[in-house]
Amino acid sequence: MTYYLTTLLVYAGVDVLACLAISLQFGISGIVNFSFIVFQAAGAYTAAVLSMPPDTANGGFQTYVLGLNLPFPYPWIGATIVGALLAPPIGLVVLRRLRSDYQAIAMLVLSVIASLVITNTPQFLDGAAGISLVPQPLSNIFNPYSDGYLWVYSAATVVLAAIIFVIAQRIINSPYGRSLRAMRENELAASALGKNSVALKMSMFVVGGAIAGLSGAILVGFITTWAPSTWLYPETLILFAAVIVGGRGNNYGAVLGALLVPVGFEEATRYIPPFGPPGLIPAFEWVCIGGLILGFLWFRPRGVIPERRRVFRLAAASQPEEERGGG
Amino acid sequence: MSLIVAAFGFGLVTMSIIAIAAVGFTMQFGITNMINLAYGQVMIASAYAAYAVNNAGVSIWLSMVVGAVFGALFSFLLNRTIYAPFQRKGTNLIGMVIISLAVSLVIANVLLPIVGYYSVSYHLDTGPTLHAGSIALTGVQIAIMAVAVVAMVLIYALLHFTRLGKAMRATAANPTLARNCGIPTARVIDFAWLITGALCGVAGVVAGMNSDAFSVANGSEFLIPIIAASVLGGAGHPYGAMIGAVIIGEMTEVSAALITPEYKQVAAFAALVLVMVLRPQGLLAKRGTLAAAG
Amino acid sequence: MLGNHHRIGLGLVPVIALGLAACGSGSTAPTSSSPLLIGVIAPFTGPDAALGPAYFAACLPAARAINNAGGVSGHKVSCQEFDTRGEPADAVPAAQQMVASHSNLMAVVGCTSDEASSVAPILNQAHIPMFCMTGQSEFNKTSFTYFHRLVPPDEFDAFAMVGSALDHFNYKKVALVFGNDIGSQAFVGPAMTALKNLGATVTINQAIALGQSSYRTEVTAMLATHPDVIFTEALGPTDATYMAEVKQLNGSSLPFMGTSATIDPVWFAAVSGAIGVQDLVSNFSAVDLGVTFSGPGYDEFKTNLDAVASQFPAAPKYAQRGATLHLYDGIIQAALAMDETKSVDPTVYNAVIKDVGNGTTGSVTVNTYAAGVAAIKNGQKVRWVGAGGPTNYNQYNNSQQGYILVKYDASGNEVTIGTLTQAQTAAIIAAGGG
Repeated sequence: MTYYLTTLLVYAGVDVLACLAISLQFGISGIVNFSFIVFQAAGAYTAAVLSMPPDTANGGFQTYVLGLNLPFPYPWIGATIVGALLAPPIGLVVLRRLRSDYQAIAMLVLSVIASLVITNTPQFLDGAAGISLVPQPLSNIFNPYSDGYLWVYSAATVVLAAIIFVIAQRIINSPYGRSLRAMRENELAASALGKNSVALKMSMFVVGGAIAGLSGAILVGFITTWAPSTWLYPETLILFAAVIVGGRGNNYGAVLGALLVPVGFEEATRYIPPFGPPGLIPAFEWVCIGGLILGFLWFRPRGVIPERRRVFRLAAASQPEEERGGG
Repeated sequence: MSLIVAAFGFGLVTMSIIAIAAVGFTMQFGITNMINLAYGQVMIASAYAAYAVNNAGVSIWLSMVVGAVFGALFSFLLNRTIYAPFQRKGTNLIGMVIISLAVSLVIANVLLPIVGYYSVSYHLDTGPTLHAGSIALTGVQIAIMAVAVVAMVLIYALLHFTRLGKAMRATAANPTLARNCGIPTARVIDFAWLITGALCGVAGVVAGMNSDAFSVANGSEFLIPIIAASVLGGAGHPYGAMIGAVIIGEMTEVSAALITPEYKQVAAFAALVLVMVLRPQGLLAKRGTLAAAG
Repeated sequence: MLGNHHRIGLGLVPVIALGLAACGSGSTAPTSSSPLLIGVIAPFTGPDAALGPAYFAACLPAARAINNAGGVSGHKVSCQEFDTRGEPADAVPAAQQMVASHSNLMAVVGCTSDEASSVAPILNQAHIPMFCMTGQSEFNKTSFTYFHRLVPPDEFDAFAMVGSALDHFNYKKVALVFGNDIGSQAFVGPAMTALKNLGATVTINQAIALGQSSYRTEVTAMLATHPDVIFTEALGPTDATYMAEVKQLNGSSLPFMGTSATIDPVWFAAVSGAIGVQDLVSNFSAVDLGVTFSGPGYDEFKTNLDAVASQFPAAPKYAQRGATLHLYDGIIQAALAMDETKSVDPTVYNAVIKDVGNGTTGSVTVNTYAAGVAAIKNGQKVRWVGAGGPTNYNQYNNSQQGYILVKYDASGNEVTIGTLTQAQTAAIIAAGGG
């Protein structure tokens, strides 16, 4: 029982981190990063190859680069940095003045390209087989299967998620956040006011990428394996669904969405009692997940927790400038 | 060298299939502003509908008509029952993308228990393999190319010579203005979904014919090349989608010959990214369409 | 701000999920009559959706045979599927949920290459005997004591294919066409090494993406190298598409050989539908796990398999699927181990599974579960020789039983045309550089 609860907690933490990153990029800044999962994967792979021994170990059944056997926390730090570093090259390609739908398609295609390249270059990250036997952090000191270790891991994940939440809140409620929202609402007007929209977008892209990289490191340290099948492009879309169902434009919505969709819907459907021939219930689970997303978006189109309408009143006047909520 | 010429020949078939599909996809986007991620699943569902009929003894060509009708009705109902209501509620573009994703999940997983995880093949005679130099194409493949040409001609005729077609172009350009001019945009949209749904169905059937075996899992494989071709040519522009299909189709096959087969899709998609870097609005769209929706 | 009750109300959903987990777990050890569960953890959706049902088809006849003989120490057994959705990150919560909600798990079968790396540690930690279908070589020298593998690692298949191709058919030039997924690519390296060491040539090595609608360029490139035979494993409709295009572009089919994964009703239906049954029968051969499809152990399996068609209509199609046979054997071995130790505690009976499989001095060989129960009641130890033939676990609980060289007949049944004993297989592996 401990194992399942700690698994749920770690997965919830990782999904919260991912949704916060998407919320910052999409909800606040209007960047439709449909290649999000690539950043998480980059973080996971980085943490893996930094913490593993060289690839001749364990019988040499897998091939990968590096293998530096670094102790915790370096792999996690490395993963965060790589997630951030991946942002500028991708951003320079797509963060021009593309319509949001073109941006989205370009990033989606980039995600597919990344998946294809990694799968077909086995010398780099072991191709389709992926990397296994990733050592858990500090597993040379503590027993990684003991209850205590698992609870500490979950607690650490939750704490990191909370820290990132606080940081994200600070960003949203700062003047910087106001610039981002202005740019999201009306990029022309914001530029006319002197806001450098490219720089603003790139900064959020980098921040989101860093958070994504960290989430990947946490996940791979827990499940000890990572393969291309784990980060196909629909994963990004599920996370976007989470943010939209929860309510974008605000971090509470992102957290709620993370708990609802990837954790709630996907896990609660495992409890549907089995009936019929094998394969019927598993397919039905996916139908329920799709149906739940549709249902939530129908009854709460702005998300469960919509973005707060911000009203700025002038000192003595009666002319509020309102921002439209929900975008 | 001969391999490259042969690959060029195969690319003609690939581009034909993508063209039929991409024109439908891009018209759905142009007229209703909908990136329909469920398009691939509707294709495979139509392919299975045609298979059900074909397996009962009907000829493949009649079965293709059945597939087209199925695709048309399915897409029409999809819009009427799900997409249009959500759009009326004010869901924005990305929200609609997520909705189409949810719909694709539902379709794929309703289809799976019904048709099973077995792959199926159409009962057809592939005809002789004709050789012209290094190019080798079967009779069925040449027929598929003919179907694509006919479909393109019909779409051209629709858009330029019929009132419905002109109404569609007007609605795609500016729905509000079109409505104000008296065009019944709701009915135009219904027809648009019927026609693009038929294209979707035909594309699914010819893809199944070309691949000699297909299963539910193929549905998601179709989607990305179709999107790539549509966007490459300029989303919403049917002729752009045709050009995009030519580029994607040929790049896929020729790069398999030139580089290695493992990277053939990477090459095709890299072409898309290149086009988007150099000409972000796509090949045929005008620059002004950049800032519009979002 | 929203009314607080809305937010709390919906935040309850994950809490409810946890609550269900807690309720479902029951957390009482099996009482003297509570049923026991066999978990089938495998992909039931996604691209590998065909695998899960094949393993479920092993569980149902085993459960039936066990229940008809009075169950395991009086407990009835049943089967339940747990979908891993085909990838390791989704498999972890699936495995954890299975373990947390069912304290009466007696054994787990399935765990394919898609997810074994992440699932095996979980099951080992939970002390649940598992019979896995992964061919990954990382498990060749596993330290997981609860891990059992009744199928050889993928690389052995590759050596067996090479050995058969060279000895039985005298092929000299081989084209390798394998899907670029985890399970299939594992064959390429060992095959290339073996072919080189044994004096044959690899004319081309193609890793093809699964589920594409056309491979004609790849086929043309392959045909230009003029191989004698194509070695292949590319699941789903992929092999069907590829071989159909070979037939179209070459004018006729080429000889092709498959791995044990190609001996499967789904694969047979796909390829025969695409190239015609006759072509498949004449041109195709494969190596399959060394089973004989005869004998009292197999007959009992087949009887029970046909009988469960009321629950799972497609079950009888798996009568010759090596994986199905071996997992059935694994489950019965676990059951007999529980009977011998008179315990439902895996920490007690897990170690005995190996003895039931390999036999010990003085053990009596049994082929049906009922005979096993009777012998145990007589105070004897048993050795199970069932549907898949005799087991020989090594120190890592891996069992290898040699191979058979097979073809299909027109109805999709296997026809054995040659055998490689366990010793011969070991010799080829050594000669091939494995």
